[in-house]
Amino acid sequence: MSKIGDFFKLNLNDSKDSQGCGCGSTSGGCGSHKQSQSQHTNISDDEFDAAVEASFQEESKKDGFDQVFDVKMNRRTAFKKLTASLLIGAGAVSTSCSVIAGDETKEKSQIDWEEQFKGNYKLMNDDEKKETVTRLARSYELRTGKTVNISSENAEEDVLFGYAFNISKCKGYMDCVTACVEENNQDRNSEMQYIRIHEMEDGKGLNFDEADDNYYHEVPAEGHFYMGTQCFHCDNPPCVEVCPVKATWQEDDGIVVIDYDWCIGCRYCMAACPYDGRRFNWSNPEIPEEEVNKEQHYLGNRLRKKGVMEKCTFCIQRSRKGKNPACVDACPTGARIFGNLLDPKSTIRWVLENKKVFRLKEDLGTEPKFWYFMD
Amino acid sequence: MNNNKYHIKLYLVSSLVLLLVISSCKEKEEKYHSIIDKIEVESNDYHGISTSSGNYLEDLKLIEITEGEHTFLIPERKGKIKSYSCTECHTESLKELKKHKNFKKAHWDIKLIHANKNTMNCATCHSGNDMDNLKSLTNKKIDFNKSYKLCMQCHTTEFKDWKGGAHGKRLGGWANPRASNSCVDCHNPHKPGFETRFPSWFNTKTAEERK
Repeated sequence: MSKIGDFFKLNLNDSKDSQGCGCGSTSGGCGSHKQSQSQHTNISDDEFDAAVEASFQEESKKDGFDQVFDVKMNRRTAFKKLTASLLIGAGAVSTSCSVIAGDETKEKSQIDWEEQFKGNYKLMNDDEKKETVTRLARSYELRTGKTVNISSENAEEDVLFGYAFNISKCKGYMDCVTACVEENNQDRNSEMQYIRIHEMEDGKGLNFDEADDNYYHEVPAEGHFYMGTQCFHCDNPPCVEVCPVKATWQEDDGIVVIDYDWCIGCRYCMAACPYDGRRFNWSNPEIPEEEVNKEQHYLGNRLRKKGVMEKCTFCIQRSRKGKNPACVDACPTGARIFGNLLDPKSTIRWVLENKKVFRLKEDLGTEPKFWYFMD
Repeated sequence: MNNNKYHIKLYLVSSLVLLLVISSCKEKEEKYHSIIDKIEVESNDYHGISTSSGNYLEDLKLIEITEGEHTFLIPERKGKIKSYSCTECHTESLKELKKHKNFKKAHWDIKLIHANKNTMNCATCHSGNDMDNLKSLTNKKIDFNKSYKLCMQCHTTEFKDWKGGAHGKRLGGWANPRASNSCVDCHNPHKPGFETRFPSWFNTKTAEERK
């Protein structure tokens, strides 16, 4: 065999001193070591390739559970696996049935158990929704001693939320960003923010490449204008389309939401969003206890965990109660307009019908419900 | 004859292809062509909603105004003016006041930074004879609570936008009843421009990442 050949073939035939075997154990306890070693030395390259191919085919036929459970294993490995899974179950059962463990510990593990096996929020009926928010609120109370109010309020009929942003009015103060972070319990460590305010130079158009979204100087700066972006709650949202587990969807009032307990953190939605509307929790989000906003919604600002997506929800915990989102409330210039698109007499409808409005990347067909306009 | 058969075959094949294209079309059947269509159709039978923003306006002192086809609430003004009513100090008219010698100049701190001197001075809005009220360009009385009537004399486009809801901050909530700030709730009438200041947020993590 030539030297180059050695390089590419990885010396599979000279595996006499190899310690590995099919079971993954290096101690030689699985009983297949002797056999596999002799096999390796005896078979030719062709035979080996054929065997590999055959095993691949066999594997590709199996899916999900079968790949894990339908494997040949000896008694020892089987017992190992069984014990491990039993331990997990037994842990939960023992705490909940234990005589020594306190009532609170029992309740906590009961809640954890039920939360672990609950379904997707989107498919829950109203009772189930209520149950899960009660559990989450109780769990928070048991952990911190503080009470939170988590709502599971549904969308109201004849409501479709829309947003308008006046580019002429925004002065770049970023009061909206601060208010949003405080309202929505975003992670303080990573300084996560849903809203970005882009400082753009006059006369250069909407040039996001050259815009600055993290400035710190007196604003409004001479010769610049300001434009805010956030989740646009598209009517044809690409982020919803790509979610492999249906953890994100559009509610009937047009708000695109995430079930933080169903999200697997694959970040496909983040990649699919053409507006950089979504954020990912790379670490466990931390908010000082006294700063936690206790008025929460399951689909909105309730506390998130590591490894899940989040984004603007038009402050669902406020808007479903008739209140303005925090950014609208905080804006000192009135550049932000929010309302019901289905109400022909609403101010948002007046803006759409009387001002020259446009949306970002309209040609993509995402149909954002977020319009920009100028005086 | 042969030609005919060929034609029939062609028809069959092409119709089959057409059928396949139609039936296998994976495109989701959208009910509406665009969001604007959706809004138009679905708001045709809008019957109103139960959600109200009234709760969030309870702490505010508001007055209802009707301008054209728009009726909404604006904050009451007189209660917010520190020394209203003016006649509590101004017991005599400005004309009489000027007759006194060595009089101290009141309101010395107010500088008018609003349009130029050719266009306006104090007397454009204030009347020396009736200080408890504002006056229009044609010397008609304007109530302090409805000072927007004064502004709209020049700022006609802003007034139109404000009535409709494109200009002026909305108070409380998005649902009815609508309450919006009046001109003077955001703009100081003597110096209506917004001042420059530092933003209230700066992301140190982003700044670090982009170094």
